[in-house]
Amino acid sequence: MTTSPLLDAYRLTEKPKWYPTGEEVAQFTVAYSVRLPVMLKGPTGCGKTRFVEHMASRLDRPLVTVSCHEDMTASDLVGRYLLGPDGTIWQDGPLTLAVRHGGICYLDEIVEARQDTTVIIHALTDDRRILPLEKKGELVRAHPDFQLVISYNPGYQSVLKDLKESTKQRFCALDFDYPAAEIETSIVAAEAGIPSSTAAVLVKIGEKSRNLRGQGLSEGASTRMLIHTGRLMQQGLTLPEACRLAMITPITDDPDMRAALEAAVDACS
Amino acid sequence: MPVADMAAAASNTLVQAATRSAFPGHTLTEFLAAHDRLTKAGYGVAVPRSFMQAAPDVSRLVGTDEALALAPAASRIAIRSSPRTAAVFLDLAVPMSRRLGTPQAFSSWVQLVISLVNAAPESVEPLLARAEMLDERLGLDGLKAWVQSGLRLGGGDERKRQQYFSLEMVEAQRLLERYAGEETFQSLESELRAGHRALWGRMPPLREALPLGKGHAELRASFGGGVVQLPAGFSGYRRRERSVYKAALAHIGAHMAYGGSSFQVGQLKPLQIAVVSLIEDARVEYLAMREMPGLSRLWLPFHDVSPDGMATAPSLFARLARALLDPDFPIRHGWVQKGVTMFAEGIEQIGNPALSRHIGNILGNDLGQTRVQFNARNYVVQPAYRDDNLGLWDLPPEPNAPPQQHQFEINTFDRRETETQDSPQKRKQGQPDQAHDSGIEAVTSARVEPSTGRVVAHLPEYDFTAGIERPDWVTVKEYEPGPGDPLFWHKLKERQAVLLARIGEMVRAASLGRARRLKRQAEGGALDLDATIEAAINLRSGKMPDLNVYEGVSRPERSIAVHLLLDTSQSTENPVEAAGASVISLLLEASAVLAHAMDRLGDPLAITAFSSDGRDDLRVVHVKRFEDELTPLTGMALSGLRAGYSTRIGSAIRYAGAKLAKIPCHRRLVLVVTDGEPSDVDVSDPDYLAMDAKRAVQSLNASGIDVFCIALGHAAGQRHGEIFSRRGFLQLDRLDALPAKLPALYLRMAR
Repeated sequence: MTTSPLLDAYRLTEKPKWYPTGEEVAQFTVAYSVRLPVMLKGPTGCGKTRFVEHMASRLDRPLVTVSCHEDMTASDLVGRYLLGPDGTIWQDGPLTLAVRHGGICYLDEIVEARQDTTVIIHALTDDRRILPLEKKGELVRAHPDFQLVISYNPGYQSVLKDLKESTKQRFCALDFDYPAAEIETSIVAAEAGIPSSTAAVLVKIGEKSRNLRGQGLSEGASTRMLIHTGRLMQQGLTLPEACRLAMITPITDDPDMRAALEAAVDACS
Repeated sequence: MPVADMAAAASNTLVQAATRSAFPGHTLTEFLAAHDRLTKAGYGVAVPRSFMQAAPDVSRLVGTDEALALAPAASRIAIRSSPRTAAVFLDLAVPMSRRLGTPQAFSSWVQLVISLVNAAPESVEPLLARAEMLDERLGLDGLKAWVQSGLRLGGGDERKRQQYFSLEMVEAQRLLERYAGEETFQSLESELRAGHRALWGRMPPLREALPLGKGHAELRASFGGGVVQLPAGFSGYRRRERSVYKAALAHIGAHMAYGGSSFQVGQLKPLQIAVVSLIEDARVEYLAMREMPGLSRLWLPFHDVSPDGMATAPSLFARLARALLDPDFPIRHGWVQKGVTMFAEGIEQIGNPALSRHIGNILGNDLGQTRVQFNARNYVVQPAYRDDNLGLWDLPPEPNAPPQQHQFEINTFDRRETETQDSPQKRKQGQPDQAHDSGIEAVTSARVEPSTGRVVAHLPEYDFTAGIERPDWVTVKEYEPGPGDPLFWHKLKERQAVLLARIGEMVRAASLGRARRLKRQAEGGALDLDATIEAAINLRSGKMPDLNVYEGVSRPERSIAVHLLLDTSQSTENPVEAAGASVISLLLEASAVLAHAMDRLGDPLAITAFSSDGRDDLRVVHVKRFEDELTPLTGMALSGLRAGYSTRIGSAIRYAGAKLAKIPCHRRLVLVVTDGEPSDVDVSDPDYLAMDAKRAVQSLNASGIDVFCIALGHAAGQRHGEIFSRRGFLQLDRLDALPAKLPALYLRMAR
């Protein structure tokens, strides 16, 4: 590979495990082979970040992850001049780093960033594949191995936040959701280190909670949440205790919703 | 007869000994004098006799003074209500004093009865008839609150009050349960809905079944026709209401998840129908428990039949039901054993409803051969959480057919249909129920004659005397505006040209919304990193640095939605002294100018006119909804508003708040324009509606919606400060300034 050693720190040392739920691995590989930017859509905790990590290690690319937030500026992504002992130094931002040296840049929860910040990726995500560094007066042409991946949770966005249409239309998109019961059971069992019979109960509870999605809960319990619950149980907590600690109390403050979730835990155990 | 003689005469009677010990010293004389007064007052013989019997015991149980006080109380009741009621009261005194125990409690109970006899003499008798039950469930404080609510509910209507106190009114029963701290269908409804949806992934329409008349069998849950009905209460399960409701709903969920299509009745006898239903209940519960084992903990506690006893049909049914659910239940009857065995043998086909029919047929037949009596008329499914099984059967329509036919006539509250737009009180029980996903159509908006409103919502109201918010107390009806003037806008623009132009200027200057970071500022709370580095670079290279190195937070962009509430009560018909126009016409003009300004700003605006005619008729007219464009139609609707009726302001605010809650804006404002204090025809206490309005304002504030009031007319006698808080309202004396003031005020507030 032609990647510069500068990105070595971003190489994944272990291969994160991924439990396929469909054709997503093959599809992502195809998208990468033609270097099309990919958008991962799905509820929180369903494995979007894990999937990118898995793909990066599978494709043997360094992965530069940026968690987007409201106060993020274009400089935070692209880079800025810093003062050194001998004058100014240009410091590449994470995006520029990946573009220059051929990594996968993953912008997590992209809608959290302000829309005027996100437009800087436009030139990168069409056939130009360039990143203009306005302050430095440089036009960075993307390394042939560079790919941009963004994630996006359509569920909890308020009406006030959404991607610009012009941004959306540059991406291929993969839909993620919580995996089917058997797969989720094996994930929870493996990740939390609990017997699969217990994991099956947790998954059932998770499904019940997802029935309340949009009916009082903005999201049901995620796979991640189920794994956390499983880990607590692995440490000796009882099922109701673990569910309360890792699932019911974090997810809602509404007493009716809590009662409903408690009832679900009660019914499934 | 002198008192001394009387005492001497009384000493001859047998009662005397007990009485004397109950009334030591001079109190005996007082007692005899009181008795004498009752005798001579012409109330008949019953009153003094009851007094003579009750007073000594009361004296011993709670105190001599309290016993003596019975006489004037009885006298009062005899005069205001009837001597018969007074005698009932005296007869009750002993059991009540035994219950209440302390002199304070007893005399406040007496006080309560007296205050009721003063306010509503006809209601004392029904109250006394239930005194012990009421005390059992409510306690003294609860009883007070319940009585007060009754008086408020009945208002001046004697008949209504009597219905309330004899518990013939549904609301009386409800309030009784509420004050008793008992969970009811209403209090549990939203929790049950959420729980059911969690367990089964769907929620069929849920209704409360109206209680059956007297003489009918106990009411059970039911799910015929895709509608789940739960009784308003389960008798015999006080303090366990939550579990019995949960169990009932889970059982119905099991039917819906694992049941097949309806059974055909065919040639089956009522007994067989009952047994088939019983097996089917066990079958679906078995399947549900295989999926969710914890359900057995919910259901089993209700199976409390003992394994022995008389082999009556109900007892055998209950035993079989329990034996099928509870493997540890000892079986001591051949028929039950046979049922259990057949069920176990059929376990391979457990997924098939035909199994129930097969086993039920045989078992029913067996039981029919024996001498066991089965009375289909009186049969009630046991245990209480199980449904009436009507949903299982494809019952023929003839009236003579199946055993529980009469239950088909259960009327239901169809509240859901009216809640598609708003649910009451966000209900905490929040969302408008998903009646939609069950195929129940929302009431479509049909054009309604101005005289007949369309029910669009039920809202709660706050009763400050009782300290509770009564759910679904006020009915909101939507009315169409009267015929309006198509040239309204045109005329307005001519009349108010200068004003509109000035407001246009003000509008351009205004801007607000979410905060935004500003870079390269001369001052601010933090350093702008990029600007600072640049400045430092310039300094080092000997150039003039740009000193704007701070960052600040911008004045936010606009994001405000307003719901304008116009009071169109009768009083707005009054002319304004100087201008000669009526209040309502100025109101219309001002709203039009505001609507115009907001439209140019692009801010969402709704205009609703309200008035009220009692709690059953909060009249709202939608001049403009949030989703409507500002068109000539808006002008016609505005000019079509007519003054009339009263001002139930709290409910109107709640209504506007519910609409506004759905608008995604950072600032949301209910702007009330009113010319007087709250009043309505069915409320006599001037504080009641004011306190309710205050509560409505507070609860909207709590959910992030501001309420501001523009009070028209002189401040004297108005209580807007109290309702909207001192900074929440503006008094406008000069009404003709309203059209200019309203938009200016809006822009100021919207900043």
